[in-house]
Amino acid sequence: MGKELLSAAAGETLLLLGNEAIARGALEGGVRFVTCYPGTPSSEVPDTFFRLSQGAPYYFEYSVNEKVALEVGGGAALAGLPTLVTMKHVGVNVAADPLMTLAYVSAPGGLVLLSADDPGCHSSQNEQDNRIYARLGGLPCFEPATAQECKDMARDALLLSRRIENPVLLRTTTRINHVRGPVTVGAMPTTPAEKPFAKDPARFVPLPASARVMHVRLRALLDGLVAEADASPYNVESGAGDVGFIASGVSRNYLADVLEEDGLTGTVRLLELGMTYPLPENRIADFLGSCKKVLIVEELEPVLETEIRALAQARGIAVEICGKSEHLPRLGEFSTANVRQAVRAFLGQPAAVVDTLAVPGDLPRRPPNLCAGCPHRAAYYAVREVYGDTAVYSSDIGCYTLGFLPPFRAADFLLCMGSSISTGAGFARASGKPVVAFIGDSTFFHSGITGLIDAVAYNHDILIVILDNRTTAMTGHQPNPGVDTTIFGDNPNPVDLMGLIRACGVEPVKVNPLNHKATLAALTDLSQKHGPRVLVAEYPCPIHARRVGQAKKTLPARVAGDPVACLAVRDNLACPAFAMVDGVFSINAEQCDGCMFCVQLSPEIKPGKKEAK
Amino acid sequence: MTRSRIFFTGVGGQGTLTATTLLARTALDAGFPVTSGEIHGMAQRGGVVESTLLVGGYKSAVIAPGEADVILGFELLETLRALPMLRRGGFVVGNSESLQPVGVCLGRECYPPLEQVLEIAKGFAARVVMAPCISLAEQAGTAKAANTVLLGAAAACGALPFTLEALARSIEKYLKPKLVEVNLKALALGAGAVAASQAA
Ligand code: SF4
Repeated sequence: MGKELLSAAAGETLLLLGNEAIARGALEGGVRFVTCYPGTPSSEVPDTFFRLSQGAPYYFEYSVNEKVALEVGGGAALAGLPTLVTMKHVGVNVAADPLMTLAYVSAPGGLVLLSADDPGCHSSQNEQDNRIYARLGGLPCFEPATAQECKDMARDALLLSRRIENPVLLRTTTRINHVRGPVTVGAMPTTPAEKPFAKDPARFVPLPASARVMHVRLRALLDGLVAEADASPYNVESGAGDVGFIASGVSRNYLADVLEEDGLTGTVRLLELGMTYPLPENRIADFLGSCKKVLIVEELEPVLETEIRALAQARGIAVEICGKSEHLPRLGEFSTANVRQAVRAFLGQPAAVVDTLAVPGDLPRRPPNLCAGCPHRAAYYAVREVYGDTAVYSSDIGCYTLGFLPPFRAADFLLCMGSSISTGAGFARASGKPVVAFIGDSTFFHSGITGLIDAVAYNHDILIVILDNRTTAMTGHQPNPGVDTTIFGDNPNPVDLMGLIRACGVEPVKVNPLNHKATLAALTDLSQKHGPRVLVAEYPCPIHARRVGQAKKTLPARVAGDPVACLAVRDNLACPAFAMVDGVFSINAEQCDGCMFCVQLSPEIKPGKKEAK
Repeated sequence: MTRSRIFFTGVGGQGTLTATTLLARTALDAGFPVTSGEIHGMAQRGGVVESTLLVGGYKSAVIAPGEADVILGFELLETLRALPMLRRGGFVVGNSESLQPVGVCLGRECYPPLEQVLEIAKGFAARVVMAPCISLAEQAGTAKAANTVLLGAAAACGALPFTLEALARSIEKYLKPKLVEVNLKALALGAGAVAASQAA
């Protein structure tokens, strides 16, 4: 999606990814300031803003982490600008500290926080339900279900936020961020009215005395918003009868398709909720009052279910309420299949029989893998050679987490972004075992550096390997503070990683991991020392280098000698360019990136010759 | 109104998502409501990429087992893996050529033969078409157009709710000008492969 996202006129229909639609919606809402930390499934929102940023009416940054993104964004909203802050669900944990006070302090310019949740853990370490953060932090919450709603709700959330001067949560899930559908766009705004900052410490500085007052104000504001939720056009009732369904977010889609396909549309009552916090209490109470029994359909935690059960009790409504405990799972994603079974069970019908083909259960798996030419593979190989199974490997979040897979098995535990150094340090202190912690450059800046400071302060015995591939590769090659080049050209102010480590109190050693001899020597040397040690393994991610036009033209490697004599290279590197053709080991010239690492491991493998192709 | 659930499966880098978007645009231009879904992230780095296109008024972009009217398989093993998604009487249109997963290359796992895929799908699917998409794309000018070969085969055997001509129009309208010619060739070669393939 190119510039038409900025230029499309009101009434035009574009085929948009949910995340692109969110960007357009925020633009229609007058967004002037965008901060983020990339993370699947949220990444295409900031990537879209980044792509369109030249000459666009907003400031954009990839912040160093989510806490910083929310704080910088919070500052912009205090200064009066409509602001969007984006992150994935676990990113909100990083930002939770400022978030819990943000609604006390308020956001005069308007601030929408996008939390992209990941039911089913498609690309995450957990499936937490961030609608609970809306309750905890005092943020009204929207849950879109289509690309069109992604656009509309992003706009309306920002407008609402600006009007009530309170931050608002836009909560999506993977399937919604990555849905693609037609979106009819609205008008782009003219410049919003200025909201200049007027100093008012009692309002903006949460000292205990003022914080108590702010909390009172926030609760009153949220209570007042119940009427807004009751009247919200995103909360829609349809159908008839005395059997009811209440659904929110993506579950609305599964439910609608099931009702339609099973011929139930219109014969049951349906309340679809798009604005879910504060709870549209009066609307729901009316709905409950008109039903004999109600099934609540929502993914993950029984958030609405718990609140609606409480509401029925408080208002004395005699209605049977079903949900998680009776028919629907609390784990993972929904689909039309499990919603159908729940609907049938709720209606007292026999379970649907699904007619499917069976395939053998032992098909070869195809897990994601480090790319051909990835410098991380070379680094893992060298570390394995020196430490084998004697060390415990502390891992972190990024492409290099894939070092978990055999043959490297270089991840023994992992908590969250930036945890490898500190968790590894604690493990080393407690066990006395040698620990090697892996962390990427972006992750080190994100929150790894505090672990290094702790390791220095307490002399933890740990070897830290910073896998510096000059980008944030896993989420789509976003720049980080250390890079020299982005897809938009040179970074004028790269942060000096080596100097930073030095300033923390460790003299780092830098190697090119594709130079095997030098890396091995450095590691061997470091393995004999104690206390906090840092090896920076620096070589650009080849995918990124190709994109920014910095990749050197190289020839592929080839098995020039005895294929049997170099099978150990195949087994210990497991590069995706390796192939078995008619039972003979070879290197696929199309796949090979020409990194020449395998060439250093066996005399049977040689650089390709020009005429060899 | 034609209603159809189409399930795409392939390996990262094969153009599965590009093909999905092209079909979605074609359906939209034909006046059908569409919704489409994809999963990014870990799916890159050589992993499996799955996407969906639902035409004709479905709200959910997710396809559950036994629900797909069509499976478009950009890689043989992934086509086999996706077969439980198919509904009885649906179409399977796949690439008969393979990309080895690392486990196969390392000799730890066995790659299933084409015959096994045909054997399993036979009797359950209404039609199974397998075309050598990578070779045909090379014939058209670039192996990268293998995804278009598959779309050509799918349209030609009647698996899609629109015609080969509509797809050709989309290629002209939505692809970069320098890619149009080779993709039109690839589309035609894919369509031609259907005539050669035996119905299953
Ligand atoms: S994207 Fe880059 S860093 Fe990530 S696995 Fe591939 S080569 Fe390695």
